[in-house]
Amino acid sequence: MEPQANLSPENPPIGFVTGGGLEANLQVKLTVPAQTVQEGAFVVMDSGNWRFYGLVTDLQLAAVDPNYASQLNSQRFSPRLARYLNQNTLYTNLAVMPALMLEKGPDPASPEYPAWAQNRPEKVKPITVKTVPDHHAPVKLANAGDIAEIFGKEDGKTIFRVGETREQGHAVCLDLEKFVQRSSGIFGTTGSGKSFLARMILAGLIHANNASTLIFDMHNEYGPSSTSSDTGQPVSGLKQQFQSRVRLVGLGAGTDFGALHADFQLEIAHKDITPEDILQLTQTLNLKETTAATLDALQTSFGENWFTEFMNMRGKAVEEDEEGRRRPAPDSVEAWANEAGVHVGAAESLRSKLSRLMNRPYLVNSPASNGLAEIIDSLQAGRHVILSFGRFDSELDYLLVTNLITRKIRDSWEAATNQYHKDKKVEPRPLVVVVEEAHKLLNREMASQTIFSTIAREMRKYYVTLLIIDQRPSQIYDEVMSQLGTRISGALGDEDDINAVLSGLAGRNALRGMLAKLQPKEEVLMLGWGVPMPIPIRSRRYDDIFWQELHKDGQPKLATTADYNKFLGLGDDDTD
Amino acid sequence: MSDSSHSIPIGKLLRADNSQFVAGCRVRELETPAFGSLVRASLADDTDVYGLITNISINDDGLVRQLVSGVSIPGEYTADNRYNRNLPVEIHVLTIGYQSEGQLRHQLPPRPPLSLDQLFLCGSDEVARFTSLGAGYLRHILRLTDQPIEELLVAHLSQARRVQDSLGNPEWYEDACQRLIVLLRDDYMRLARVLDALSELE
Repeated sequence: MEPQANLSPENPPIGFVTGGGLEANLQVKLTVPAQTVQEGAFVVMDSGNWRFYGLVTDLQLAAVDPNYASQLNSQRFSPRLARYLNQNTLYTNLAVMPALMLEKGPDPASPEYPAWAQNRPEKVKPITVKTVPDHHAPVKLANAGDIAEIFGKEDGKTIFRVGETREQGHAVCLDLEKFVQRSSGIFGTTGSGKSFLARMILAGLIHANNASTLIFDMHNEYGPSSTSSDTGQPVSGLKQQFQSRVRLVGLGAGTDFGALHADFQLEIAHKDITPEDILQLTQTLNLKETTAATLDALQTSFGENWFTEFMNMRGKAVEEDEEGRRRPAPDSVEAWANEAGVHVGAAESLRSKLSRLMNRPYLVNSPASNGLAEIIDSLQAGRHVILSFGRFDSELDYLLVTNLITRKIRDSWEAATNQYHKDKKVEPRPLVVVVEEAHKLLNREMASQTIFSTIAREMRKYYVTLLIIDQRPSQIYDEVMSQLGTRISGALGDEDDINAVLSGLAGRNALRGMLAKLQPKEEVLMLGWGVPMPIPIRSRRYDDIFWQELHKDGQPKLATTADYNKFLGLGDDDTD
Repeated sequence: MSDSSHSIPIGKLLRADNSQFVAGCRVRELETPAFGSLVRASLADDTDVYGLITNISINDDGLVRQLVSGVSIPGEYTADNRYNRNLPVEIHVLTIGYQSEGQLRHQLPPRPPLSLDQLFLCGSDEVARFTSLGAGYLRHILRLTDQPIEELLVAHLSQARRVQDSLGNPEWYEDACQRLIVLLRDDYMRLARVLDALSELE
């Protein structure tokens, strides 16, 4: 957007720059009552040809002399003189973290302007701040135009309004195109409104339709409509709102979606389980170091049917031969171990531990349909998938299924990307994998075992990113946290969680207090690579008005036949 | 030169420099000048120099010393000494502005008044005219180090406020107080004393 397009009326100055710098924040002396400004306020400073954008990170009471503040002037002097004295000796200092600067050029009425206008680039963009405004540069609260300049103007599609500034209620948007380019996270303690925030962002993503989303819905709360535990009001589900664009998938038979029906049930064939999937359960199943060798031998012996064959083996089965000697039964684990040259104890131990998987009803030898392929096809065709775990909400189910599906996705998207690099025909559709309770998959111990840390680190170039939803970001592996592009956080109480959300970001110290003081259920802090600068906002309400506004433009604009096919979920199969 | 129709002559100049001067008057003339009043010395070149009375001093002489040490002093002796003595009462004035070629300024004059120039006590119209230019001249008062400035300010501001209030301009006093606070806020002790004194005017 051109700077000149900012036609919103300028706000009056609230103070002026008195000192500071890039490292230690700018100091601003406030000339209005302190309550006019809140921590996190988005302010602008004009100096020379530049407009600087910054964030208020602290407010401090100050006095010309400490004596003026320490004495109650109204008790010593007449009320009028005390008022004048307070006005002229007591004030508030703002600490402003400068974030961006934009060349706005000289005054259009000045003789220098024509020369500048002739040579300026066609599109002037805000850049990371590299210098500081002059002393006494006036400081103003950003107006709607300033905020649109930085965060974009809601377009009913990928520039998605996520909330408003706290002081003046100007719309703050998130660029969903950028949001899906890197992994991101939504954080907040229980009761901070994290689930509603996640629903809102997901609704924006599905509406924008610039990426497919696969939501691992551990608690069955994103697809069907539900009732808010706080207000008792009905809460719209994504399936209800987006109908055929969202495929509702239940894990195994019998997942209850209330009035809705699952589009299909996911049953996983035994042959889809790979040794890698089992190894990723090492911690949960308490597997031993010998497991890898045993699994390798199983795969060598039985190929893709290894799981079925292994499960069909009997534990400590023995039989007597013709001479009455006891020997391992031919269908026993021991018999196979002896034949394959595997330690018998290790094989029997593994068989025993894997029996926990055997009785999972969604793991079947021959599923009625290939649910895994259907999920991947749907995603590649531009639809969105919500996989509800229903009654299978144990950690074992969650780890096994998410790992297994995500591994399949990685294989598919890597293949599609490589194909695209070869023939330049069909660019893979970006995919966002939404993971709840992410610390269960991405904690320090598990991160190396699950596929998700690989996605967070490397899959960006294969068009797959993660959206992590979690209440304990400190439990998530640092390396994964540092890869998160956009972070949207509600209130966090724990110091470690706050530090984790801010890890790898500039200005951490300044943002720490802001994050600790967010209003639960109302305010969130957006920060990271995906947003031009950190900003606390009053988050948009996820209610009927939200849906009316989201749907008011009708369906998303479809430029081409391919878009239209994607929208209808037809897609083309070239990416398969 | 200022319109002197409402001015009252109160003495003649004894000595002067750019920032202050001293005039002398007879004791019988002492009923009109008061501490903190606005006065004017008119120079021969049509320049008027304005100031505030910061001190009025009465010096002794040998005769007074003898009389004071006497057992009783007849009334006629006292009267004679007061009205016919040779030593003048000294009126100390702090220069706070001047007028030249019809232009009033709250700055120090280019030249001080000369000895025997006439000193006038300014009337209400002159006080109004001088103070209406703003309260910037108060900075001259704050230069004083050997006088109780808070008392001088109270004396002067009560006069000026009365005049400005009568003209329907009560904001003048508010502006003057704020100006004083801004000028003195770097010196807490001094400002506190001034505000203590001014609080009594409220």
